[in-house]
Amino acid sequence: MGRRSRSSDISRTCFLVASTAIAFLCAGAHAQDAATPTFSLSGFGTVGEVYSSEDHADFTASSLKAKGAGYSNDWSGDVDSLLAVQLTANLTTKLSATLQIVSDENYANSYRPHVEWATIKYQVTPELSFRVGRTVLPFFMVSDSRAVGYANPWVRPPLEVYNLVPITTTDGLDASYRLTIGAATNTFQITAGQSDKSFPTPSGGLPETVNIRKLRAFSDTFEDGFLTAHVSYGDARLTIEQLEPLFDAFRLFGPQGVAIDDKYAIDDKVASFVGVGASYDPGRWFLLGEWGHVDTRSILGASTGWYGTAGYRFGKFTPYATYGSVEADSARSDPGLALSGLPPTLIGTAIGLNAALNSTLSAIAVQRTMSLGTRWDFAKHAALKVQLDHVDLGAGSHGVLVNVQPSFRPGGNFDVFSVSVNFVF
Amino acid sequence: MAEVVVVVSAQSAVTTLSKNQVVDIFLGKTSRFPDGSMAVPIDQGEGIAAREEFYSGFASKSAAQLKAYWSKIIFTGRGQPPREASSATELKKLILANPNTIGYIDRGLVDESERIVLLQ
Repeated sequence: MGRRSRSSDISRTCFLVASTAIAFLCAGAHAQDAATPTFSLSGFGTVGEVYSSEDHADFTASSLKAKGAGYSNDWSGDVDSLLAVQLTANLTTKLSATLQIVSDENYANSYRPHVEWATIKYQVTPELSFRVGRTVLPFFMVSDSRAVGYANPWVRPPLEVYNLVPITTTDGLDASYRLTIGAATNTFQITAGQSDKSFPTPSGGLPETVNIRKLRAFSDTFEDGFLTAHVSYGDARLTIEQLEPLFDAFRLFGPQGVAIDDKYAIDDKVASFVGVGASYDPGRWFLLGEWGHVDTRSILGASTGWYGTAGYRFGKFTPYATYGSVEADSARSDPGLALSGLPPTLIGTAIGLNAALNSTLSAIAVQRTMSLGTRWDFAKHAALKVQLDHVDLGAGSHGVLVNVQPSFRPGGNFDVFSVSVNFVF
Repeated sequence: MAEVVVVVSAQSAVTTLSKNQVVDIFLGKTSRFPDGSMAVPIDQGEGIAAREEFYSGFASKSAAQLKAYWSKIIFTGRGQPPREASSATELKKLILANPNTIGYIDRGLVDESERIVLLQ
């Protein structure tokens, strides 16, 4: 079943790339508006180095990445570095196609380029458009430009919120409607789709896959002058097949095992997300904040995260400060199977299963980060950023750290120093 | 210091706009004038003084902020920045060619093919 979903992922990607490539080939023959460029190639990237003072685990920017800074290397370029290339074709005045290919360190510790998105967009009216293909999930205020360092003030979007949903795209369709009310603009978007995403196993074994089905997301962005407000909701059914053996084993222990399976297994469970955000940017200074809540109704738990950022622009320099926090709303430990009353031959197995359950539950991140940084727009298409993060882990938690070693002591604190150059072309 | 004014074609029906309406057109937030007709914004090239004055005066955005803004839009496939005119002369040619265009230019360069938009 795992193999089938991987090959269907490959064939879906091939389909998306092929159909978008066909759209590009048609562009030459069908360009109707001579004034608009038919093709454009653009791109963005980040070259970043990160140092983490935590030696027994890796600090990285997404739970979908295999490695980071700290344990694997004191300094790591894997955390933030990426290169993206985007091809846009305007086929007619209403029809366009976009293909974005990104290379960054992924779940398999490789920089193999992948299709981040491939969409064909039809602009029915200037207000209403439809897109089909691999599109971005609109959960957060900078979901669209999460990877475009140049477009954002910080070195990376605050992990306390952006790690709540590390999945960034879906394969399906979306519709967007923009309403102008006086000086204000309101954009409403609906997305429907599905996806298969790979992520590294905490224990360092073979990467696992999460199957996301029946995803639907709604987002609304309201802009009026210096103020932008955003609200979003999404849900989907999640399945992680690689966890089946663990829960199959629990079920062998009778009703108490079945209860654990029902509560924690990720087999077609509904996960939901709700988020709000706002920014106020009169030019010389800005404020930005978001709050999000995710509930997976499974072993991955429920969490609430938020952050606030304030920044000021002095000429080409933009210093900023951010405070973020993520808390667990569900239990991070469970007594598991009761050992009393079990036949002696099964006690060892039960202890092992309980340990596996609890180690996964304790991975639900609890942490707070205080960040200070500065952006320097030193060149026309590039910006340099330096950022210092002080991370306080919740009791018994390893926060967003990955590659956690047996020598790691949870619940402490550590510091991260990052230097990044963002560019666009 | 030259004053930057917003201009449309002399054949356009548009006479007045608010500052916000002008900014929304140039930032791609709307592609229509208040009367419902199409609005086609034309930028002047990066580095031209009129462009810097327009964006800092009207939208409170520096060149870097504007670039960051468009990065967000471009790299999410939501749109593209306005067409660029390499000089005031080219801008005037484009305005002449299309009555839906809107641009900004030094006041001293305005002639009878353009109308200065009054700002409310």
